[in-house]
Amino acid sequence: MTLTYPLAHALGAVMLLCAFAMLSQRRLAALISLYQIEAITLTAAAFWQGFAQHEINLYLTGLITLIIKAVLAPIALRRIVHHFNLIRAVETAMPVGLSMILGVALIGIAVLVVLPITVNAVTLTREDLAISLSIVLLGLLVMTTRRNALSQVIGFLSTENGLVLAAIGMPGMPFVAELSVALLVLVAFLVVGVFVFRIREHFDTLDLKGIEAIERRGR
Amino acid sequence: MSAATLAIAIPLLAAPVIALIGAPLTGARANLCVTVLVFLITLAVFASPGAGLIHADSLGVIFGILTGFIALTTAVQNIAFVRAEQSHGSARRWRVYHAMCQIMLGTTLMGLYADNIGLLWVAVEGATIAATLGVSLPRTATALEAAWKYFVLGGVGIALALFGTMLTYLAAQPALGPGLTAMSLSALAANAGHLDGALMTLAFVFLLFGYGTKAALVPLHGWLPDAYAEGPAPLTTTLSGPMLNVALIAILRFRHLMQANFAAGGAALQPGPFLLTLGLASLLLTGLSLARRRDARRFFGFSSIEHSGLAVFAFGIGGATAIFAGLLHMILHTLIKSALFQALIRGAALRGGGAPGNYGFSHLRGMLATNKYLGWALGACVFALVGLPPSGLFVTEFLIVSQTIQRAPLLSLPLGLGLLLCAVAIIRNIGPLVFDPPPAGTVAIPAGRGVGLVVLHLAAVLLLAFAMPPALVLALSGIAAGLQ
Repeated sequence: MTLTYPLAHALGAVMLLCAFAMLSQRRLAALISLYQIEAITLTAAAFWQGFAQHEINLYLTGLITLIIKAVLAPIALRRIVHHFNLIRAVETAMPVGLSMILGVALIGIAVLVVLPITVNAVTLTREDLAISLSIVLLGLLVMTTRRNALSQVIGFLSTENGLVLAAIGMPGMPFVAELSVALLVLVAFLVVGVFVFRIREHFDTLDLKGIEAIERRGR
Repeated sequence: MSAATLAIAIPLLAAPVIALIGAPLTGARANLCVTVLVFLITLAVFASPGAGLIHADSLGVIFGILTGFIALTTAVQNIAFVRAEQSHGSARRWRVYHAMCQIMLGTTLMGLYADNIGLLWVAVEGATIAATLGVSLPRTATALEAAWKYFVLGGVGIALALFGTMLTYLAAQPALGPGLTAMSLSALAANAGHLDGALMTLAFVFLLFGYGTKAALVPLHGWLPDAYAEGPAPLTTTLSGPMLNVALIAILRFRHLMQANFAAGGAALQPGPFLLTLGLASLLLTGLSLARRRDARRFFGFSSIEHSGLAVFAFGIGGATAIFAGLLHMILHTLIKSALFQALIRGAALRGGGAPGNYGFSHLRGMLATNKYLGWALGACVFALVGLPPSGLFVTEFLIVSQTIQRAPLLSLPLGLGLLLCAVAIIRNIGPLVFDPPPAGTVAIPAGRGVGLVVLHLAAVLLLAFAMPPALVLALSGIAAGLQ
């Protein structure tokens, strides 16, 4: 029995656990730490897949992930948190218990949808796909259950991690996709960084409740 | 290097150069020069469509020329816009603005010419980032809110589309082998029957919601009215119109994969019901919400949602005729809508600047008193949008309705209701906008030569709808038959 499957699945499971734990976290610092652990695990998964598939491109993906997502992004996020003094607990739009129940339901849906229709695909891809779809959906759930701009960004980044996990698990996927994912994260992060600062200039708080001002105005 | 590659590369490479130009007016002129060049190259793509990753098929060529044309007229009108607005906003914002115009153009063309689902996705992603930056440029609180909303919704859409793209690859990989072939749109279409149908269905759901966000179909449309209303008008309204087409064409191509797989006895579900539901939802929701809009840019933004929905509805009906009608509808709508926004931008500029508040219907009413040419042109554009004859949209809407009666008779009722609601809501605004007594203190001002371009758009619409060159009819019906 080779180590390929168990290790790839174990790494995916750690990422899923991080994504799930994000749902229950009220503090930004903890959210960022969870995101960082998720990104480091993703790096390990990319290296492992590169080793298993003998793909040099996957090592490159892993390296990009390590530098940008596991090191630079958390540093920038932490700086934002300190700069705006956001260390206190943040408001959620939904009770934590309810969002965790929804999270479990989403994971169930992802597994039930993916496993039956991928019977013909390579086994490794199958479970990886189910795990990464779960991470994508959980990230989206984090985005919807938070009112705070920064935690929405973290939810989005977690979604990105899920996407990269799916991409590295695809057998022989051309490099175009991996490059573009890395690009997206980089650029998206820049955009988000700009936004977060600019929103701060105008609203004094990172709470997005103010976005409803658009609704109230006459349109 | 093929013309298609050049048409994509030139605007993308020109963007950083234009960003270096400090004076807003010089920037606008440089923007125009590059756009003229790109327009000429889009015409040449006919002769040299490229090969491999960037390979323009006839659908891409036709919409590429349309995109080049819209970009050209927008760039001409943009000079007047910059002249009127340059006192607002720092030089740095104008630099970013012109760079984003070029990136928008380049990525739109990339989305049209790409023969690779990964590249298509990159194009849509790049356009979203450019548009988000563009919307945020006025730096008002509402513009930032709109940009944030756009970014969150667009980002989620992009994420879903990427997941769908990877699933498509996975569905194609057993039949086409690993590597680039399994991501090529033409290879996928040629081998649609051999794809893994069940996986393709899952992929299609993700792709539909992903690209549907960019096409502003109803449950995912929230960003569009805000983005249209808050950003710098030429970038976020006229220039982003062709981007809706990219998303719609992507949906059409993936729909074809599903349909062909279904027809060949594969496990894919029929894509029709998905598209029909989203299309009808878009149509009915805009029909209900148009009447309540007070801001012209939001109003016509909602009307774009209506027409996106109508095109998707036509694709959902299926069959060569309906798809022909849907494609022609997209072409005509893009022409009319960009003409309309160009007239609106000019009108708002004549009425004292293009700040968001100046686009209220109450502020723009009685345009005839400001300038009779502009007033009539604006009225003609709004009327053309309704879809009554002699507007070109009448032809396509007639085709879509008659095809619906033939193929899905029950759906013709909600379709008719939606069309009627939208038409009534739009017609109600023509009278006040053109003929009402203007706000106090309005004086007649010459409108400049820009009105001629608006008329040129409308003339093109009439020509395409009622006297389309036979070669184009042949090309479009060939495309429609190939994608049915």
